[in-house]
Amino acid sequence: MVAIAHDDPAVVIIGSGAGGGTLAYELTKKGIPCVVLEAGRDLTPEDWENDEWAAFAQMAWLDMRTTSGSYRITKDFPNLPAWIVKAVGGTTTHWSGATPRFMAHEWKARSHYGPIEGANLLDWPIDADEMAPWYDAAEKAIGSTHRHGRPPLPANNNYKVFANGAERIGYRYYATGPYGTNAEPYDGRPASIQDGFNFQGDKNRSKWSTAVREIPRALETGKLDLRPECHAVRITHDDAGKANGVEYLDASGNLHKQAARIVCLAGNSIESPRLLLLSASSLHPDGLANSSGQVGRNYMRHMTGSAYARFDKPVHMYRGETMAGIIADEAKLDTSRGFAGGYYLETLSLGPAFLAAFVEPGEWGRSFTEKLDAYRNTAGMWIVGEDMPQESNRITLHDEVKDQHGLPVPNVNFDDHPNDVAMRNHGYAQADALYESVGALGVHHTPPYPATHNLGTCRMSEKPEDGVVDRWGQAHDVPGLFVSDGSVMTTGAAANPTLTIVALAIRQADHIASELAAGNL
Amino acid sequence: MTDVQNDQLEPEELQLDNTDPETSGAPEPLTEAQQATLFRVLRVAYPHPSFPDGPYERTSAAVQQADAEGVLGAGLDALGDLDGLDDDAVTAKLEAVQEEPFFRLVHSTTVVALYDDHEVWNLLGYEGSSFEKGGYLHRGFNDLDWLPDPRIEEYDGEPRVEIVKEA
Repeated sequence: MVAIAHDDPAVVIIGSGAGGGTLAYELTKKGIPCVVLEAGRDLTPEDWENDEWAAFAQMAWLDMRTTSGSYRITKDFPNLPAWIVKAVGGTTTHWSGATPRFMAHEWKARSHYGPIEGANLLDWPIDADEMAPWYDAAEKAIGSTHRHGRPPLPANNNYKVFANGAERIGYRYYATGPYGTNAEPYDGRPASIQDGFNFQGDKNRSKWSTAVREIPRALETGKLDLRPECHAVRITHDDAGKANGVEYLDASGNLHKQAARIVCLAGNSIESPRLLLLSASSLHPDGLANSSGQVGRNYMRHMTGSAYARFDKPVHMYRGETMAGIIADEAKLDTSRGFAGGYYLETLSLGPAFLAAFVEPGEWGRSFTEKLDAYRNTAGMWIVGEDMPQESNRITLHDEVKDQHGLPVPNVNFDDHPNDVAMRNHGYAQADALYESVGALGVHHTPPYPATHNLGTCRMSEKPEDGVVDRWGQAHDVPGLFVSDGSVMTTGAAANPTLTIVALAIRQADHIASELAAGNL
Repeated sequence: MTDVQNDQLEPEELQLDNTDPETSGAPEPLTEAQQATLFRVLRVAYPHPSFPDGPYERTSAAVQQADAEGVLGAGLDALGDLDGLDDDAVTAKLEAVQEEPFFRLVHSTTVVALYDDHEVWNLLGYEGSSFEKGGYLHRGFNDLDWLPDPRIEEYDGEPRVEIVKEA
């Protein structure tokens, strides 16, 4: 691996997940030297474990965080607002694999949904036509099934229940994908062996992640200096206000400064705004790149919920690809349902260990143990849709609580919007109808988990006063500072976000390479 | 607001917190009577007719291990003598204390320990680690036979209507 000197101004990327890992590969393959600062360890498929709690302990981001607001996480999991990964590869190690695109109207939510009280809706400054070729590139990088000649995955048991129910209640737009796991060998990685461990990192490497594709390939270019266990603590700028370096702590707690030609921030939607807030200066007294006051605001976590249905016959939902089942019939704008935006239904399975922790947090007694006793005969799905951006849903620095480095922890404040609640209730009712149509004895509605989709805290906007970054993800008010993760999302759409984050990162890399070559950065 | 950008941060401001966790001394081990009460609590609060004693005994050990704050002994004593009480009566006693640190410790530890127990997995019909066995590709990932095999391709009829009704 190449070693880039601390005083050699490189492209410095903070984070190695869907955004940062993709950017690192796309830039290094064009010959541009990059330093990647990754807070987590360098875990490889050999390290990953087929065990829910062991894997959680191994890779989950468990640094101290606090929560506030009316959402239930504040009671059930007050220090775990998000279920994301701290390791090389970031949360792509944990992601399930569903890869729907944004629908065209979802890039322009404010125009299509109109004003919604309490929602801070805004149109993205980019649209579906502009994104189409980048989506193509992202689907090919990931190897999405059902796209570009990639075959579908077969039906597993959980999908059989799900798809039969879908058909019986009149849904048409269901399939085993698009899904970012190989149904046949592709791109140097093997076909799925249906081992059932997606959230724990796929040891077989059939599932796309930056840990198995982009990072190893970036290292092969000889242009990447990958620094695991290096936690960025401040982005610096020069007297003219241009980003020029990143200060970080290594595994031993030693402080370093890496000079930067440009800085690309991809720490996921809690750490990215936190780092900007920690990087306040006299020029940026409210936090770096925060002249709009929008840094940390409009935090979205998707409208989610789960339904677990009990049958009188075996399902064995845990066997096979966790989320290789997607219904798109409810992913539409139809305000006659009582809410704006849409949602997907997707197969989901947890093992008994995680099901016990998440199925109905806090519950005990026979009503609880019945759910576990039915495990063998249980089918599961996730409901995931667009939630409303709200200014008060927000990441801030805690006044008192400090992390292991002595830095203020991020507080996550969140309230559901009434639109989110209406959509969730609609989703639960559809899940009930679907499962009852194939003979469910009962369906349990599980509340949202700690968020796996964290979006929107550094949002993209046409005008500097409306958001944090421009159409390329560059900060409106800090030249040379880019945001490269899901925090740029102006609105979240219904789609699982990874494909869009990857598409945006490939597009951003193309822009950065052109601008560097032209001497504009 | 001072201008921190022009000064190097001092490493000591950011050093790792290597101080020992607060040590309040290990709590007294439970008496035999307290252990029996804990076991009854677990059996009543997490009733699984098919489970033998082993998983509950291991969970009891985990709860005792997790009692860093020393709330367990007093919490069990406060329940009084459970002998002679039926399960409904024990449940009523637990409902009265379910928000207290004692029961929160029992619950948060049990939902992890009891359901991470491999004997429990086997009883519930979960097979655990599968990669080393070749996954479930040839071991039943699609063996559900009480429903017809569904379509796996996307619908090839008319395209989905994405906007049905705007606001």
